[in-house]
Amino acid sequence: MYRWNSIALQVIALTIMIGSAHAFDDSLYPDLKGQWTRAAPDPSFDPSKPPGRGQQAPLTPEYQAIFEANLREREAGVPATWPGRTCLPPGMPAMMTAYQPMEIIVLPRATFIRIDYIRESRRRIFTDGRTWPKEVEPGFDGYSIGKWIDEDGDGKFDVLEAETRYFSGPRAFDLSGIPLHEDNETVIKERIYLDKTDKNFLHDEITVTDNALTRPWTVKKSYRRTAEARPEWPEYLCVERSETMRIGSETYLVNKEGFLMPSKKGQKPPNLQYFPVAER
Amino acid sequence: MTHRALMATAALAAALTLPLAAAQAFDESKYPDWSGAWRRIAVPGVTGQPGYDQTKRLGRGQQAPLTAEATAIMEASIADQAKGGQGNYPTYTCLSPGMPRIMTPYGMMEMLITPDTTHVLLEHVHDSRRIYTDGRDWPTNVMPTLQGYSIGKWLDTDGDGRYDTLEVETRNMRGPRAFDASGMPLHSDNKTIVKERIHLDPANPNVMLNEITTIDSSLTRPWTVTKRYGRDPKEEPVWTEENCAEGNGHVEIRGQGYFLSAEGDLMPSRKGQESPDLRYFTDAAK
Repeated sequence: MYRWNSIALQVIALTIMIGSAHAFDDSLYPDLKGQWTRAAPDPSFDPSKPPGRGQQAPLTPEYQAIFEANLREREAGVPATWPGRTCLPPGMPAMMTAYQPMEIIVLPRATFIRIDYIRESRRRIFTDGRTWPKEVEPGFDGYSIGKWIDEDGDGKFDVLEAETRYFSGPRAFDLSGIPLHEDNETVIKERIYLDKTDKNFLHDEITVTDNALTRPWTVKKSYRRTAEARPEWPEYLCVERSETMRIGSETYLVNKEGFLMPSKKGQKPPNLQYFPVAER
Repeated sequence: MTHRALMATAALAAALTLPLAAAQAFDESKYPDWSGAWRRIAVPGVTGQPGYDQTKRLGRGQQAPLTAEATAIMEASIADQAKGGQGNYPTYTCLSPGMPRIMTPYGMMEMLITPDTTHVLLEHVHDSRRIYTDGRDWPTNVMPTLQGYSIGKWLDTDGDGRYDTLEVETRNMRGPRAFDASGMPLHSDNKTIVKERIHLDPANPNVMLNEITTIDSSLTRPWTVTKRYGRDPKEEPVWTEENCAEGNGHVEIRGQGYFLSAEGDLMPSRKGQESPDLRYFTDAAK
């Protein structure tokens, strides 16, 4: 019977989409409205483990070496390879850590995820039955196709399964700089669903397949719904907060007065060859 | 499963879900179809960067009702830009243009209508909006933003039982903001009020009109322009992702704008511009 109901639900959803361009029965979908914030205080990719090496990311030897070099640089005071330091967005899958509040908008054709952190991200998880397109512009957020599932056969969708491809980079898993592969051939699978006992608790099981990893890496992220009915959505403009500046291949610190400063001992200043010598 | 069994199951499932539907139902058919990707419609003969009034060239060509003080700021900005500077154009550092300029729009736009909120997703620097349509009043303790705080109301202007127009008012903005790339300023007191009427063109449902009236201390009177957006005919438009920091050829150091060369070296943005003060580097003078 569960299977029959599930099939019927798919038929109804499809009929609604095809039969009427606008009819949308949102009671068929879980209530994901409101503002969601990360449940775990630590913003590591796997919230169940300590940050940095403690994440025990299944990195290949090559990418473990990149990560270790990054950690050594961090310990020496150099900004990490986290792209956000220079106002590049975290992209997928790091954006689902929800460094800032998250909003989920469920519409028949797609589920949209808005997170205002560095990039004003608006993931589109297309749920209109499309296949992978031939023409895609790669991006930090990738291209997501999803499918709603009625897992318990109660006639209502409860799980959104999503797969995301077509990325650009550089991207890292979290602020410690655990790298994703520079070939950007990442594939990410997610299962997003409300907690069965607490409807103000949301889970996202994320499995990342990437050439920087020796095997798929699965973590479970959770989010808490803000109690306020009309929460404030903060504006996050990276350029106003950044304490670093990238010039050429070097990253410099910017102090409170706005002066450029070396980010590591012995760092050379920016090349001023285009300025007349007398003016330096 | 046979066809008959499938239909019977579907009907049963529909019957089972009907009571639930009443609790949460969102009747999309009451709202206009604003789905798809929208872009600014270029006006033939109007060249260069888009002006705020898209039917006229930017800057002086806009004939904006600026106060004398605001006119002086714009003229100084244009003069600085003529020398290679950025003038009164904060966006070049990846700061959002803010309201009302974001509604130009510079990139692709998508409208998501829900009963409580209409989301305006703008792929540009950092421009997306929320227009609240849940009947709320102005909040008393909200941080000002470049996009401001928008409250909207749906109207059925032709009485056909379906909403066709979204009336919006936006307040609570911060700065710096300019109307367009010429640096035509909005006032630094940030007391701007922006009113919009957004609706489809009755003659063409693939054209959207946004009548925007701006009330600002930099203006001698409210300034109304009508923006026109065209719907992408593709059923599955190719959404692009813009990341301002990626490949931005400008940096700002202590209030001075500089170019970055293709190799990533600092370059003056204007004739005679001094190099930045690198006092914290031991071999800066070499």
